[in-house]
Amino acid sequence: MHHAWIDGAPAELAAAAATAARLLDASRQPVIAGLGADVAGARAATALAQRIGAAIDHMNADALLRDLDVMREAGVMLTTPSEASLRADTLLLAGPGLTEEWNELPQRLLCARTVEPGAGADRRKFWLCPRASWLDDDDRSGSIHNISVIGRETGDLPVLLAALRARVNGRPHGFARLSPSFPQALDGLADALKAARFGVAVWSAAELDALTVEMLCGLVADLNATTRFSGLPLPPGDNAIGVLQVCGWMTGFPPRTGLGRSYPDHDPWRYRAARLVDSGEADCVLWISAYRAKAPEWSGSRPTVALAPADTRFPKPPRVHIAVGAPGRDHDGVEHHPMMGTLAAVTAARRSGALSVADAIAAIAAHLADAPPSC
Amino acid sequence: MLTRIEGGRIIDPANGRDEIGDIWMRDGRIVDAPPGASADATYDATGKIVMAGAIDIHSHIAGWNVNTARLLLPEFRLGSPARPGAKPLSSAGWPAFEIGCLYAAMGFTTVVEPAVSPHYALHAHLELADIPIIDKATLAVLGNDDFLLGLIHRKEDRAAVQDYVAWTLGATRSLGVKVINPGGAAAFKENVRTFSFDDVVPSCGVSSREIVKTLQHAVNALGVPHPLHVHCNNLGIAGSADTALTTIAAAEGLPLHLAHLQFYGYGKEGGRGFSSEAARLAEAVNAAKSVTIDVGQVMFGQTVTVSLDVLRQFNARNQARPRKWAILDGDGNGAGIVPYNYRSADFYNAVQWAVGMELFLLIDDPWRVFFTTDHPNGAPFTAYPEILALLMSRDLRAQWMAGLPAEAVAVTTLPSISREYTFTEIATMTRAAPARLLGLRDRGHLGAGAIADVAVYEDERDRARMFRAAALVFRRGELVVRDGKPTKQVFGCALAVEPERDRAIDRRLKAYYEERYGISDDIIKVPDHAIGRPAPFELISCAH
Repeated sequence: MHHAWIDGAPAELAAAAATAARLLDASRQPVIAGLGADVAGARAATALAQRIGAAIDHMNADALLRDLDVMREAGVMLTTPSEASLRADTLLLAGPGLTEEWNELPQRLLCARTVEPGAGADRRKFWLCPRASWLDDDDRSGSIHNISVIGRETGDLPVLLAALRARVNGRPHGFARLSPSFPQALDGLADALKAARFGVAVWSAAELDALTVEMLCGLVADLNATTRFSGLPLPPGDNAIGVLQVCGWMTGFPPRTGLGRSYPDHDPWRYRAARLVDSGEADCVLWISAYRAKAPEWSGSRPTVALAPADTRFPKPPRVHIAVGAPGRDHDGVEHHPMMGTLAAVTAARRSGALSVADAIAAIAAHLADAPPSC
Repeated sequence: MLTRIEGGRIIDPANGRDEIGDIWMRDGRIVDAPPGASADATYDATGKIVMAGAIDIHSHIAGWNVNTARLLLPEFRLGSPARPGAKPLSSAGWPAFEIGCLYAAMGFTTVVEPAVSPHYALHAHLELADIPIIDKATLAVLGNDDFLLGLIHRKEDRAAVQDYVAWTLGATRSLGVKVINPGGAAAFKENVRTFSFDDVVPSCGVSSREIVKTLQHAVNALGVPHPLHVHCNNLGIAGSADTALTTIAAAEGLPLHLAHLQFYGYGKEGGRGFSSEAARLAEAVNAAKSVTIDVGQVMFGQTVTVSLDVLRQFNARNQARPRKWAILDGDGNGAGIVPYNYRSADFYNAVQWAVGMELFLLIDDPWRVFFTTDHPNGAPFTAYPEILALLMSRDLRAQWMAGLPAEAVAVTTLPSISREYTFTEIATMTRAAPARLLGLRDRGHLGAGAIADVAVYEDERDRARMFRAAALVFRRGELVVRDGKPTKQVFGCALAVEPERDRAIDRRLKAYYEERYGISDDIIKVPDHAIGRPAPFELISCAH
């Protein structure tokens, strides 16, 4: 089985790495994109970006930065999935995409019983504007008991949250026109949230805009005036949170940061990989997707070096493709743990000889023209 | 390789030295002057001050909290004023790389990250691994975790607690144990908003006092060199001195370390109901010989407070400047990040600054008072040189006081204090004493056999300038800083203890994690291979 290709043709790893290094060396504005990698891969990619002056982005940075924007504009109260699972007596699920982002959500949160003293065995569950198709699936909704659903259209969520926050704070709202039963349901919900002993709001920024997330976080903060409530943003996939952490401690900033200047330059618009490629500003792409066989979505013809599974199907063969394994399957690694909400070591489930992203980057870096910095 | 540092004034209080002499180093260790040998490299230290590498026992430099502060405040460039030039990732403000360079430039070679929640240990160690030059260590935070509260609630015997503490230290690769507002984070999850030393966590009926005493005994019985490191209840509020005094009294003759005592140095006197109680606290510390403290000095300027004291941080969120914050209800511990700007024109901030100075100057034993700003909570560690200068000059302090609100200075004793720290006292407080407190026998001194971590400073009248940029810094005998600038990219290790335990606790915790979280207890473990650098840990021996 081959592990490397140049222009779609099988190649030795050393030749592929050397070709990749030549492409990166020749580039005026490289971008490291995708960045679906474990912590070691993200560390290697960030160090490489510094060395070659690349911008770095993550394939799920849209969702990642939406949550981050709320934190760095307004402030947030957060909890971990494990704390929510153990302690929440009230769950407020907001918007669609929750089970898609965390497929263990039903058994971890919706069906689970709290084990902590003080939390009732019967967890109260409310879901604002779930995806209609999910609710209509009898098999799914039938397995989860006692979820009160309020609102069905995702587009109603911002208005609903605003009205709910007004009612929680004892203020009037003008949204009765949404449906005749709406004000009553909303008042009931506001009372239920205020009666929570430890409530948790759950959302996925993949399908919400930042202002909606901010309204929800504001609601959570307001509820803490009298009771305890916290927030649980579901992490985007492809180890987005792990990469965020690495990028944070290595550069001081989240992804969408340029390292081509003499200082890290964080600009979510400017360093969005798709924009850099579509506009032609980036003239070389290092695409990384270790967790799944995913190719970049843009159509540009920029020279691309791909570190991705062997079976990744590209619309057009990248100049260089080096096959990498998946952390936790082919090799050991460290990644964000979806249940504990922290970085954790994972052991290879089916250890293979596949390269890790860090290995592949080391192979490429060995062929770069300039020497690594000595201090 | 034999290296000689020649003709400097050697300040080595652990070995009773203050004299002109040479330091010899071979294979990373200090050696006695080899008779008749000639050095492979000689560095002239004539007219310079030579000390062991400094040790910081309490500085928040890594982990979820610190990294979240970075992400919360992209507009900050904390610690940037003296940032080095064209180094990898050096210009970002306060990423991991820069922390090591800035510490080394000041002659620090070992730094302890004192607040690692066990579930975040791997994250903290990964960040620490990317901090160059210096060696590092972590303290594991217990005291709000349900497992320990359960052991105390059920009145299980002391051996069970000891085994659990030993398991935690080993799994998280920590050097010691800290408690942070013990019980407070757990109580906050049950909607308790204030929590004192004899208050109880409602659901389990365990008091802060029981948690502190239980862990103090366990750490002592395990022979962990560093005593239990306590972040008391009621941080930062008027009247918090009573909490600190109660906690000091609770030491009952056994070793106990109180962190950033400055934040508990407040009484309720004066027109604004906020005054310095530093003199009373210092008197209590002077009398309680088993107690050590670090100061947590406040300096004026913008910073960000990062703490696992979620209750305190939640209560302080409305004082955030800029107005944003992050609060975490986490497993075992909470966390809170609240940016804050200490202003010299502000009455309360001026009192805080003076309280820190008073503690430094009124606690008479430099072996029991430690030099910290609780970075970045009181000030970023880059403010250390200015603080050292203030401790060494009453005239400089008088100049500073002249610029502060007179009514603030009036509620302190600082104007009446004439003490000036000597070089020997500075070296005791920043080298010899921290090494002893942490059980690091081969650090903090310049005797034969010590690790050859050495700082050489110009003896300048401007002490701040002197301590900001060491003339030479050696790490394990290798030159790593010249004239305040890093010269070599090397990476140190993390120091950790691994006390003995009854392995029955391992099975018990495996079952606990599986039942409670539905996952393996491996989640908490920090394996060598995950760190991604060679020899990432150095084992420090326990007393038994």
